[in-house]
This record gives sequence, C-alpha cells and structure tokens, in this order.
Amino acid sequence: MRPDIDLAYCKGCNICVYMCPKKCFSKGADISERGYFAAVVASPESCFNHGRTEKLICELCILSCPDQAVSWKPEAEEGEDVDKAG
Amino acid sequence: MELFDLYRKDHWPHVFCPGCGNGTIMNCFFRAFNDVGWKLENTVFVSGIGCSSRIPLYINSDAIHTTHGRAIAFATGLKLSRPELDVVVFTGDGDLGAIGGNHFINGCRRNVDLDVICINNNIYGMTGGQASITTPHDYMSTTTPQGNKEYPFDLAEIAVAAGANYVARWTTRHVHELTKSMRTSLTKKGFNFVEVVSQCPTNFGRRNKMPDPSALLDWFKESSIRRDKVRAAAIDHVDLNLAGQVTVGEFVSRDRECYHERKGGGSHGDGH
Repeated sequence: MRPDIDLAYCKGCNICVYMCPKKCFSKGADISERGYFAAVVASPESCFNHGRTEKLICELCILSCPDQAVSWKPEAEEGEDVDKAG
Repeated sequence: MELFDLYRKDHWPHVFCPGCGNGTIMNCFFRAFNDVGWKLENTVFVSGIGCSSRIPLYINSDAIHTTHGRAIAFATGLKLSRPELDVVVFTGDGDLGAIGGNHFINGCRRNVDLDVICINNNIYGMTGGQASITTPHDYMSTTTPQGNKEYPFDLAEIAVAAGANYVARWTTRHVHELTKSMRTSLTKKGFNFVEVVSQCPTNFGRRNKMPDPSALLDWFKESSIRRDKVRAAAIDHVDLNLAGQVTVGEFVSRDRECYHERKGGGSHGDGH
C-alpha cells in the first residue's frame, strides 16, 4: 500500500512531512484547487508499508493528519492514476 | 471499517484551521472506538463551547452541544437517566478547567461512568488567543503581551487528586500512545480522563515564534517527559511547570465503584 493525499481535504499544514519517519512526503510547490500548498507523496516506495497489503504498520501519517486527507491506496492503481492526471 | 464512515462527510472539510490538532485527536479516538467495538447508535457525544467542542458536530451520532463549561454536568445527568448509553465528553481546556473547573473536580469525585477527552491547546483559540489557565509561564498571548506571569494548571494532576478512575496525558506528537490510552479509557468503567496537549498554530504558535505546526510538534517532543521517569526522579510537577515541561503518560488507573452502581445502598443511615 502507498499513502495518498486527497487534494479536496488537504489544507497544507505539512504535518505529514514532519511526522513521516521515512520522509515519504515533501512540501508542495503548486497551489491546489482550494488554494493551499498541499503536500505531495514524493517517494511512496520508501514507506514501511510498501509491498504490504494487510497488517499495516506505522500509520503515523494517517493518524496525525488533522484533515483526514491521507489514506492508503493499493499500489496497483498507481500507474492508472498517473495516466488520469496526465 | 474505515475511519471516515464514522464522520459526517457532508460537513467535510471541517472548520478547524490548517494544522489544528483536533483532527488528529479525532483520528486517534475513532481508531480506539473501532478497536473496542463501540457502536455510534449507542453513544452520545457531549461537548461545551470552544474549538474542540465542535468535534461532536462532525460525528455521525447523537450529540449535545451544551452551555459553556457545563458539559460534564449535562453528561452526568444523561448517564444517570439513561445508563445503557455510552457517554463521551469532548471538551477544551477553557471549557473544562476554567469555567467548568468545579464540575470537573466534582465529576472526578462522583466517578460517574464517563469518558472525558480534554483537548488542551494552551490558549483560548476560538475567541482570539487570550491567555488561558494552561498557558505556560512566559509565553505570549493577546492578553499577556509581555509573557504570561502565571503558572499553568495541571489538569491531569487535579483529576488524580480528585479521584478519577483513569487519567492519562499525551500530546498530539504521541499518536500511537494516545490511541492506546483512549482504548484503555473506553474499556474501563468510571470517570476516565484523557488530556491531550494539542497545537494551536493560529493563535498560540503564531505569537510564540512557532507559526508552523511542525515547530509546535517539535516543541511537544522536546518538552514532554514520561511520568514514570518523573516519579522515579521524585520531581514535583510544579517544578516542571516552572521549567515549561509537561509530563506525559498514564497517571493513574484505579478500579473505584461507579456512581450508578452504588446508589441505593446506604449502610450508614440504617440505624436512624
């Protein structure tokens, strides 16, 4: 599984950037539709749960996100999303 | 079950400022809520007035939004009239400690079966950043522009002294420990008190050179000491207050009889 940030909810507080022990997130450079500098998932492959599908560990980003914007996403969908965004 | 199933999605995104700790505490609480298997249909959330007291509005359950400081008084009445319901109180430091301080102390003394989550953000956030009873010494606020001359209340120590069944304190930096303490508090009977030191970047951090939420979380990490270490070193908590430190950990875990279990008896009045 990989962490995913929902841009409809993210308010750009960057708590996930601070909390993640593996530095998966980084500060965003672009303004989101709601007007915040939303964080981005820079390196999802360094996450503890990379390659796991159940019994997820750590979850500091999920628990500490004040806006419930971070969620788990299966890695298989990763390629499809890139296509959609492009 | 996903955490988001418990929230009111039609009210999302919520009203809290970017970086506010209330959302973190909601996540931790509902993770624990799911783990112990409580049901929203059987739970009532009671709150007073304040930023943290808006949390019940975002939960897909029945809630009472009461007058300022009286959340524990309303929750006591609800629990005693409908003992089959589970009652959770979300409250802030100004609501619980300042205007409702007496209700809090007497709630601990009566030991009614409530779970009280106190979100202590060190300031009156909703009204514009006035110094509250928990503002640390020498920290700035709107009403203390030269630094707070007073020393803060230690709400968890008051709850221990007043006889609460379970008392714990964590910060929003300790999310896993906080979830574990909330799980314990939900499974235990009696008055269970969990204080969470939370960040307020808008009104507290901005006036204290910590406008970034991560700077506040870093401050929590540096200033918190485990309760067992404090006990082992025999440090008085007033000395810790002077030094701007905060004790975290599980303070006490008792097994006192609940109020609704013992009403009726009365062996002392039998002879008269």
